[in-house]
Order: sequence, then structure tokens, then C-alpha cells
Amino acid sequence: MDLLRKAGAIWMKDLRLEWRTLDSISGMFFFSLLVLVIFNFTFDFTTADFKEIGPGVLWVTFTFAGILSLSHSFVIEKEGDCMQGLLLAPVDPGSIYIGKMLSNLTMMLGVEVILVPLSAVLFNYPIYGKMGSLAAVLGVSTLGFAGVGTLLGALTARTRRGEVLLPLLLFSICVPIIIAAVQTTKVVMRGGPLSDAKEWFMIAAAFDAVFVSASFLTFQFIVEE
Amino acid sequence: MSTFRKSLPYILPLILFAMVVKGLHGAFFEAPTEAQMGDVQRIFYFHAPAGIMAFLAFAVTGVASFLYLWRKSLLYDVVAHASAEVGLVFCTIVLVTGPLWARPVWGTWWTWEARLTMTLVLWLIYVSYVLVRGYTDDRDQQARFSAVLGIVGALDIYIVYKSVTWWRGLHPVVLQASGGGGLDPEMRPVFIFCIFVYLMLYACLMAIRVPIGCAEDELARLREALARRRRA
Amino acid sequence: MKDNFGYLFTAYTFIWVLLAVYLGILMGKQRSIRRRIDELSEKLENLPKN
Repeated sequence: MDLLRKAGAIWMKDLRLEWRTLDSISGMFFFSLLVLVIFNFTFDFTTADFKEIGPGVLWVTFTFAGILSLSHSFVIEKEGDCMQGLLLAPVDPGSIYIGKMLSNLTMMLGVEVILVPLSAVLFNYPIYGKMGSLAAVLGVSTLGFAGVGTLLGALTARTRRGEVLLPLLLFSICVPIIIAAVQTTKVVMRGGPLSDAKEWFMIAAAFDAVFVSASFLTFQFIVEE
Repeated sequence: MSTFRKSLPYILPLILFAMVVKGLHGAFFEAPTEAQMGDVQRIFYFHAPAGIMAFLAFAVTGVASFLYLWRKSLLYDVVAHASAEVGLVFCTIVLVTGPLWARPVWGTWWTWEARLTMTLVLWLIYVSYVLVRGYTDDRDQQARFSAVLGIVGALDIYIVYKSVTWWRGLHPVVLQASGGGGLDPEMRPVFIFCIFVYLMLYACLMAIRVPIGCAEDELARLREALARRRRA
Repeated sequence: MKDNFGYLFTAYTFIWVLLAVYLGILMGKQRSIRRRIDELSEKLENLPKN
């Protein structure tokens, strides 16, 4: 479909742009690493059980890093009036949304994929048998966050004090997906099968479905002049 | 204007006043004293209905936001904004009276139990809605952005409700004058009446707030017209 | 039980004070906007017609 083809083009454009300098993803990665290190000082992991606090620590780290990606994603479009150019191409706002959402998703997943094994090393926690389940959890949860985050990132890129508004908006709206992400991660880390977290998975999936669709449909109202 | 419309600004507040007096009387004198908590439980009659109205007000904001994006009439945007503001006031009432009830009864100001947490999240979404409006300059952009946020927020509230309830379990509150569980039937009439009191309060506040929003738009239009005439 | 009346009283007082303050703000806004609308309408009337 034409919509998806154009979305794919935008996705590739963003990835290619990022690949040249790697400044956004490296910034996200080092920031996340720093957050993990700081968390290490706040909890005593010799006595505390990483299985219990770990999911929360990881998801706070991922969401904070995600904010960096989301705000950067639309700031680059403001320079040189790129967004106008895209809309006049003509590209359907829906395609822009999907393309941007996919690029944000890719960036966040990229950081997560490196950080999860890294945290297993740093906090001495085995994840060998759990990679598949963790991947599913990361995928579903990050999709929701990137889905609504792309819409809110576009919105706050065009308001004053957007850098302050974005975290406020994003974290308020994403409470359900953050809870679901932490709960499902906790179940996986405890060693249980994914089916134990069935209800949380459903909430996460419902969040994804509702907010990706709602964002897709309302994105045009954010970018139109 | 018909005599009915002219007298509305006087009748409505009078009815509201009467309802408030009746509600207060009910809360303090008609409702029975709670068995475990004592009289401090009477906060409930003006706390819980405020919570219900706060959520209803945001639902109105959500619907008005949707209507704005569909019909593009600024009146819907004014209604959405007004309802968000009034809802924010009600939400604040819940968040302040809740701890004032919790502290003497459960010994702690705040608990992260489901309904309080959800109300806090709603309050944060309300605040972001109002902030976004303050931080956009162009009227059209302001209306569009707030409308998107209103819809997203309204959709979110139901999912927040489900997830927070799952996470924490329901309000562990059992209100009774004697044994049994749930809301004591003797308390029910006062509780229901207080919901109507808040509904009336919402209606009166909206009746004041919406015309103010429309007047602000009229002011902006007049300024525009004046500037255009001066330039010509 | 009786000494919890402090909390009860504070809670109800807060509600009424908050509503009164909000109402006061609204009425103040209403008055000032009305005044400015009247001023501007007058200015618009007095401008020379071109």
C-alpha cells in the first residue's frame, strides 16, 4: 500500500540519518547506562533481589531514554522546515506518523537490546532461558510507548517549553503501559512462563491497539498548518 | 430574552444553594455514623461524588474535543477547556479530602491504592491539558492540540482504571453503620443526593465558565478587527 | 473518634474555600473581559469609516 511504502521511506530516511552520525542512539545508550549506574547506588543490590526491583529500574531507564529519542525525532524536522516539505511532497500525515513511530521504536528497541544483557552482567542476573519472553515483553511495551510518544513528541515540538511538557504528558498517559511492562517483566524474570502474565499482556496489547490507532488518526491535526 | 432565560442566573444558584444545604444536612445529620471510622467518615459524602464528577468532566472534555476536530466550531473547544478547568477543581478536592480522611482512619496521609492513584494520574493529565493550552500561542493550534490531548486523555482514563485496579486491588473501604459489607444502605440516599449536588455544581460552574471562554474569543476577534481597520 | 473532627472540619472548609476562590477568579475574569470588550467596541465605533 502506498501509505506503508511512504512510511517505510520515512523510516529508512531517519535510520540512514542516524546511521551517519549515531549521535542520538549513542546519547540514549550512555544516558541509560548512567541511569543504571545511579540506580546501583540507590539500592543495595547485594541484599536486594534484582528480580523484584530490576523490572522497575529497567523500565524507568528505558522510558527516560525514550524521551530523548522522541523529542529529537521532531526537532530534526523543525530545522529547515522539513515537516512542511514532507507534507507538500505530498505525504499523508498518517504515513509520516507510521514512519516516525517505527524509527522511534527502532531506536528504543536498539538501546533495550544492548541494555538488557548489559544489566544482566552488571547486576549478576541470569537471562539465558528468558530471551524470547523478554523480547516479546520489550516489543509489546515499547510499541505502546513509542506509539503515543510519537504523537506527543510532535505536539510538544511545536509548543513553548516542549522539553518540559513532553515528559509530563508522556508519563501521565503511559501509566498503564509502564505498569504492564514492569509486571510482565517481573513475571519473566521470576522464571514463570509468559502465560502467567496473560492479563498484563492483554492490557499492554489493548493500550497498543487503542493508542497507535488514536495517534494515527489524530496525527494530522498536529502537523497541519 | 424570555423571562425564563433572564431569571436562570438567579434560579440556578438558588437551587444549588438549597441542594448544598440539604446535602450537608444529610451528610452530617441524616447519615448514620460509621461503625469503625466514626464521624470523620462523613468526608466521604463530599469526597467520592467529587471524584465521580472529576471523571465525568473529563469525559465531557473528551467528547467536546472529538466534536471540535470533527465540526471545527470553536464553541466545542471552549466547552472542552471549561470542563477541564472545572474538572481540575473537583479533582483537587478529591486529592486533598482523601488524605484528610485517610490520615485519622488508616494512619497514613497517602496510600498508592487504586482509586487515589488513578485520581492523581487524572489530575496530572488535566494539568498537562491546561499547560499545553497555556504554551501554544496560535488560537487554532491551541484548539487542535488540546483537542488531540483531550481525546487521548479520555481514552487513557479507562485503561488507567483497569491497569491500576489490577495492580493494586480495589479501594479497601467498606463503609457500614453496622455489620455487613459495601456501602451501607442507610448511607446510600445521602451519597446519591450528593452526587446530584455535584452535578448541579458542575452545571452552574460551566454556565459561568463557558461564556467567559466565548467572551475571550470575542475579545480576540475585536482586537483583530481593530488592528485590521487601523492598518487599512 | 471525637477528636477527628479537626480533619472533618478542615476537609469541608477546604472544599468551600477552593470553590469560593475559583468562583471569585471566574467573576473577576468575567468583569475584566466585559470591560475590555466594551472599550474595544467603542474604539471600533469611533474609528473613521473608510
